[in-house]
Order: sequence, then C-alpha cells, then structure tokens
Amino acid sequence: MSKLQIISKGILKENPTFALVLGMCPTLGVTSSAINGMGMGVATMVVLIMSNISISLIKSLVPDKVRIPAFIVVIASFVTIIEMLMQAYVPSLYASLGVFIPLIVVNCVILGRAEAFASKNNVIDSALDGIGIGLGFTLALTAVGAVREVLGMGSIFGFTFADGVMPLLFILAPGGFIVLGYLMVLFNKIAKR
Amino acid sequence: MKSTLRNMVVVLCGITVITALLVAVVNNMTKDAIEQSKINAKNAAKFKVVGVDDSQAYVSRDTTRTIGDFNITVSTVVSKADDSIVGYAVEAPSILKSGYSDRIYLMVGFVEREGVTSVCDIEVLSQKETPGLGANMEREDNSLIRSIVGRDMSTVVFNVTKKDKDATFDALTGSTISSMAYVNAVETAYAGYLWATGQLNMDEEAIEAAPSGASVAHDDSYNEEPEAQKGDVDNE
Amino acid sequence: MSSFNILIGENISAEVLEGFATGNITMPVVTLFAIVIGAIFVNNVVLSQFLGICPFLGVSSKVETSLGMGMAVTFVMALSSVVTWCLQTYVLNPFGIGYMQTIAFILVIAALVQMVEIVLKKVSPALYQALGIFLPLITTNCAVLGVAIITIQKEFDLLTGVIYSVSTALGFALALVLFAGIRERLDVEDVPQGMRGVPIALITAGLLAMAFMGFANLL
Repeated sequence: MSKLQIISKGILKENPTFALVLGMCPTLGVTSSAINGMGMGVATMVVLIMSNISISLIKSLVPDKVRIPAFIVVIASFVTIIEMLMQAYVPSLYASLGVFIPLIVVNCVILGRAEAFASKNNVIDSALDGIGIGLGFTLALTAVGAVREVLGMGSIFGFTFADGVMPLLFILAPGGFIVLGYLMVLFNKIAKR
Repeated sequence: MKSTLRNMVVVLCGITVITALLVAVVNNMTKDAIEQSKINAKNAAKFKVVGVDDSQAYVSRDTTRTIGDFNITVSTVVSKADDSIVGYAVEAPSILKSGYSDRIYLMVGFVEREGVTSVCDIEVLSQKETPGLGANMEREDNSLIRSIVGRDMSTVVFNVTKKDKDATFDALTGSTISSMAYVNAVETAYAGYLWATGQLNMDEEAIEAAPSGASVAHDDSYNEEPEAQKGDVDNE
Repeated sequence: MSSFNILIGENISAEVLEGFATGNITMPVVTLFAIVIGAIFVNNVVLSQFLGICPFLGVSSKVETSLGMGMAVTFVMALSSVVTWCLQTYVLNPFGIGYMQTIAFILVIAALVQMVEIVLKKVSPALYQALGIFLPLITTNCAVLGVAIITIQKEFDLLTGVIYSVSTALGFALALVLFAGIRERLDVEDVPQGMRGVPIALITAGLLAMAFMGFANLL
C-alpha cells in the first residue's frame, strides 16, 4: 500500500464515521453545529496521530492479553497531557477546543485504530493512518454538524440566514441520529460509484 | 508477544507507572501556567465587565464572602485619576443550581447610574455545558445577556421566561437548565454586590418574605438533567 | 435613593439571602424517585446523552442478546460506581491528584471487567455463559466511564451514586431491548437497498429518541 493510499483510504473507503461506524458517541454528541464538528474532528486527529505513533512504538513490548488495558492507559494519559499543555501554553486554542478533549478519551476511533492498525504497522505508516482517519473523521463530523445546523438553527458556520423558523429537533438528540442515518445512505451511494 | 502472568503484570504496571509519572510531571510543569492564565483571564474580565478597557488607569479593591464551598468576590473598580467608583465586578458561581454538568462561574459587572443599578456586561469564567447548546452562553451576543444588560436590577425577576412568564431572562435555545444555572449565578452576583455595598437586607423577615428559589426547580427541557434541581427546599 | 431601600434586593430568593446571612446554603433535597425516573427515562443514557452508542448499535439485533448485554452492563456499572466512588473519595481527593481521574477510572473499570469475568467463570458457570461474551465489550463502553464521572460530578453520596448508576444502566438496557425488538421486526420488512443495516438502525434510533422526548415533562 502506498503512503498516499494509507491517507486517502481513511477519507473514503475506511471513513471512521460512515464506513467503520466507530466513535458514534462524540459524533452525535458534539455535532450540533458545523464549527463544533470541525473542532472535535481536529482535536481527535491530533490525539489519533500521537496515539498511533506511540502505540506502534510500544507494540512489541505488550503481551497480547493486556493489550487493550495498556493501550487505553496510554491514550488516556496522552489526552490528559495534551489538555494540560494546551491549557497552559495556548489558552486561546484551549478555549475553542478544550471542551472536546475529555470526550476524546472515550472515543472508540482511537482505540479502534490502535488495535486494527498501529499495533500491526510501523511508526510512519501508523502516523499516516492517523492523519487519514483523522481527516475522514473531521470531514464526516463537519458534514453532520453543517446539516444539523442548517436544518435546526438556520445558520451555517455561525452565519444565520433564517433565525428562529427552523425545527429545533435537529439540534436535539433525535435529529442527530436521523441526520447521521440519512448522510450514511448518501455516503454509501457515493462510495459505491 | 506471548502472555505469561509475569510479563502481563510487569508490562501493565510498568506502563501505568510511567504514564502516571509523565502526567504528574506535566501537571507540575503546567500547574502554575494554568493558574496564571486563569488569573489573567479573571483580571481582564474584571475590568471588561464594568466597561473599561485600559486597566492601567483603574484599580480594583476586592472583598470576598464565603458561602459553603463557594467564594463570591466583589471587586470595586476605581479610577486612579479621581478615585471615583466606576462599577462593581462580581465573581460568582451558581450556588443553588448546577448546569448540565457543573456549576457556572460568571463575572458580572454592575454600574450605578442616577441611583439605578444595572448590569454592564457579563463574562463566563468557567462552564462545562454542551457545545452548541448550553455552551452558547459564552457567545458575545446571546439571549441571556441581551435580556439583562441595562435593566434596572431591582425589577429583575430571576427566572427564565420558559418557566415564568414574568421572568426577565430569555433562555438559550434548547438549554433551560444551563440558562437557569446562569440566571442563578447572576442572582448570586447581584446579592454579592448588594452585600458588599451594605444594601442587602438579610434579617429573618426578609428571608421569610423572599421568593423561594425552589419554585423554579421543575424542569421540562428535554436534553438536560433535572435531578440536581428537583425537590423542595427546607426553609427551616 | 433612600425611598427605594425597601425594594432593593427583594427579588433575590430566600436561599441566596440565607446563604449570605449564614455563610451556608441549604441545598435542595433530591428525591430518589426523581433520580431513578430521571436516569431511566428523562435523560436516557443512550437516547439523550449519547453515551454507549457503539454497543447500542452493535449488539441490538436480537432481543435475547440485548437482554444479556443490558444485564452485564447493569452489573458492571453498579460495581464500578462503588469502586470509583471509593477511589475518588479515599485516594484521589485526599492526595489532591484529581487530574488523574480519567486514567485511574479507566484502569479500574478495565481491571474490574477482567476480574468479574474470571470470578464468574469459577463461581457461576451458568451466569458466565449468559454474560461472558459481553464482558470484554464493556471495557470499551464509554457509558460506564461516563456514568462514573457524572456520579462524582454530581457529588452524590455512595448509596445515591449506586442507585443513579443502576438506574442509568437500566435505562441503557431498556433502550437496548426496545431497539432490538424493533430491529427484529425490521429484518423481515422490505427496507430500501441503500438503507439496510446501520442507516435504518440510526433512523429508528432517532424515532425512538423522539418517543423518549415525551418523558421530558414526567418530572
């Protein structure tokens, strides 16, 4: 597999949201607007790249049976460290991305990629996989967020075009499920072509 | 790698110890910087909420009231030039109500004009509400701020319109619980301002006659937590 | 402004006034009934809090398996809430290492799940047969960690915390079983090609979530 393919497969063929159906909880939880979806996607991508690199570095040291607990601990510490560093040295970035960071710990995309890719491949490929899957995740979340924001709030990326006349339902929980379901149908149709 | 009990225990403990140490080191490294950035944000908010930009020309005198685990700090912002009071910046948590996941901490600026006290501006110091819903309270121009700024504080009804048609505050869309916690923080801040300026009537009759905060305890918003507010308050 | 003095501050609620007068606050009493109903119906963990969606979509194709999963989650959540509460109260708080919360909780839950598996296998093979295959899945169920953290955030005491966790888990089981029932019927329906599988499941979940919105005024 070429380096470029590793990146591009994360966006379409192995899109974490639409094709692998991983990380549904943050996908539905934070995508009430496009900008939130994007923020969560970017924050996840950073953590994913770092965790993929570190998992592929330590993979040969970890016995099979304790792989999952070991990986979880590594990921959780990573997330905590990134949160602290961001809060201390880039408070402005923390103000916009900070709310998503604790949610990343419980994102099964990270553990899923650690299991399925990083624990079997070398460091560079794992990093590229992190970039690819991260991009795919960001695009998917932004798309879901954009649709929900347009339908529920009548705005896009914060620019309002129809204030107060749209059904709020799409911002609330049921709308999240329904929008994601229909986007998945659309994605399957495009991916099949 | 093959798993034996020994290497499983060794590796897992090793990883745990190493990561815990790393986290502890980073925590020590960043603790002061985080504290400092919080203090800076607080200081900036203090002057911003009473409507002054140039903090060099003003000083603040702080008094603090502790209620239970909470501190309410009233900063009197004074002009260095003529020693006149510009306004009062009150840092207050929502002492009675939690938001969706934690208490809301606000910096509320009060100014006095011709004997009437009103809110100049409000900054959110800390909140953990849902992004896109309750977290919208951080936005510059949200419905909560719009409904309070400039109002005569003695006529304000501390509730959201969804619960009480006479209420002053317009709740954030889809986030009644977050909005009610916000309103409670504003109420606490106002009480703090009155307390610091010696205007707060705290004798038993006043408490007896005061409206009960529990009357707004019932929740009908969908995606919020009602438990924290549920139930009646023991007034004895 | 002396004539206004009587009016000033009379809009402040009794609890806040009392707080300033005494330096203490009387917190509103939360009834257990409200906690239970709130956690099961009003704030259903899957359908309104978006926690534990992966197992919700993954093991909800048959009513029988979803019952097993629901029971396993209830069991682990009850246990983990006791352990994490004690960990927070007796270890993390006294030593001031609250920032380790996530790491400690995750580790404890993972270890707990493994231990439950081993003990069940030895003590009650029948129960292990019923729950065993679901246990490894629970380690990655974000609802367990989420509920452990919420229990701490809400400052519940131990008993209330356990009741809250069990109610949340029951809400999870309820949603799972209901959903599995619907999906069993969906299997025999003529679903459009492109919507088969996860998409129709998500849309169904959306409709179920909408139905649960009806509980919002219950409390």
